[in-house]
Amino acid sequence: MGAPVKGKLLDLVLVLGGLLMIAPLVWLVVTALSQPIDAFQLPPQWIPSPPTLENFRQVPDLIPFAQMAWNSLQIAVITTAGSLLTSALAAYAFSRLRFPGRDQIFMVLLAALVVPVQLTVVPVFVLMRWLHLVDTTVAIWLPALVNVFGIFFLRQYIASIPRELDEAAIMDGAGHFWILFRVILPLARPGLTALGIFVFEASWNNFFWPYIFLSSPEKMTLPVGLVSLQGAMGGGPAVVLFAAITLVVLPILVLFLIFQRSFIASIATTGLRA
Amino acid sequence: MATAVAELTRTEKPTPKQRRDWLPGYLFISPAVLLFLVFVAAPLVAAFGLSLFHWDLLSTPEFAGLDNFRQLVTDEATIRAVLNTFVFAIASVVTHIGIGMLLALGVHRTMTRGTKYFVRTAYFFPFLVSWAAVALVWKYVLDPTFGLATHYLSELGLPTTNWLASPTWALPTLIVVDWWHTIGYTFIILLAGLQTVPAQLHEAARVDGANAWWRFWSVTLPVMSPTIFFATVITFIGAFQIFDPMVIMTNGGPDGATRSIVQYTYEKGFQSFEVGYAAALSLVLFVVIMIVTGLQFRLSRKWVHQ
Repeated sequence: MGAPVKGKLLDLVLVLGGLLMIAPLVWLVVTALSQPIDAFQLPPQWIPSPPTLENFRQVPDLIPFAQMAWNSLQIAVITTAGSLLTSALAAYAFSRLRFPGRDQIFMVLLAALVVPVQLTVVPVFVLMRWLHLVDTTVAIWLPALVNVFGIFFLRQYIASIPRELDEAAIMDGAGHFWILFRVILPLARPGLTALGIFVFEASWNNFFWPYIFLSSPEKMTLPVGLVSLQGAMGGGPAVVLFAAITLVVLPILVLFLIFQRSFIASIATTGLRA
Repeated sequence: MATAVAELTRTEKPTPKQRRDWLPGYLFISPAVLLFLVFVAAPLVAAFGLSLFHWDLLSTPEFAGLDNFRQLVTDEATIRAVLNTFVFAIASVVTHIGIGMLLALGVHRTMTRGTKYFVRTAYFFPFLVSWAAVALVWKYVLDPTFGLATHYLSELGLPTTNWLASPTWALPTLIVVDWWHTIGYTFIILLAGLQTVPAQLHEAARVDGANAWWRFWSVTLPVMSPTIFFATVITFIGAFQIFDPMVIMTNGGPDGATRSIVQYTYEKGFQSFEVGYAAALSLVLFVVIMIVTGLQFRLSRKWVHQ
């Protein structure tokens, strides 16, 4: 008799905790939908009456939102596609091909996993300045095209695919490109998806690197743009800032609800952290 | 893998069949390796070099020897930033692993599917939100006049203050916000680890008369120790690199109370253009991460079952 009651009580505590966790996000969306005069009232009004989209309409007046969204998307897509490609090529070579120095090169790459980006950012900034790439989106995605963790992860994944499959293709006279793209990668799709989701999300949410390299509003990504908006507004309408944040946050939350399984799997399997 | 290399090095003349893989091998790794050399390896070496110079990015770099490092150990702001970062990292690991474990255990029980889905999603949601958005929203949540937290805390009769402006409370507040933002990650990792604990082991312990507490100590924890170890290492490394909430929410203040190592590196390198000093600071971060991670691996032999 006691155990089920205790279980229900624990459920209740966890659900209440869950409500507490999402409260700031709910408040964000509710405020973004509120009339400016109702926003930030105490006690908080949890149901906007009547809800309005006016705040969203004003976002482009404050920041070049569409341009920033395009920059973020462009960087995230190039980073994801590019780093998956370079990682897949290298992972295939490290797991299937034999050449002198292979294992030594792999060890050097692995050792670099412990190097924080903060250690390389100052020299990379100097390099980018020399190349006249500071304040361009190239400065954000170009260094991100090499993903050591991606190489390691895909190498493990490819190692689990039976060699008989590509050996059969070699017998048929197939080249390595053909084997990689027609045999290996289709079989490695769950691994590629998990890695891809994580790289995309990390790039979309990245703040540190764009904050250092981008300064013109029309070059900025959304996270940096939002923060710059906070400074630009001064005593301006915070509801519009909330509308802008909502526009950044909602797509990711909706994507998560759709791809929940892959998202969770991408964390559980890659163990990556944004 | 090791034997493959031995084979290659032992054979004086590789067979043409073996040689056939060489060119594609180098070709396939070349994009990654070239980018790695330009954006990781060379900057790593350059960071060591830069730390020996005084440079403002404009004039000619001036050799400084160990000047920057001498300045490091006497600069109170550096010492403060290192201490803040340690406090943040330790508190972050304790709250993430401790509360994350309780959460994972709470969810890993018999629950209705709906409840499980809601709880898992609710705790995971904040992790998907970029730090920039989190930091901005929380600034308003914590606002002393119209903030949610302030309002409900005083409704409950609890004392409130201007959290982010208080030298005492600013860092603990950021630790709470970090917990809110990142717990979803630790939680999922720990939950995945919990699901690998074989039910038969629990059954066997139950038959032996072990109560729930004892089963947790003797079955769950040992089986989960590699997962907990992994989560601890990752949380530490992430926490040492913390930057976003400080920059957006407190700008390191009040009076340096929340300034982290990375933030100080940023200020020195990109605001006051002391590039050499910034490079020296980033090396401090690197050394801290190396030492702490090394220590963790060493200690892990005592408690991680493998």
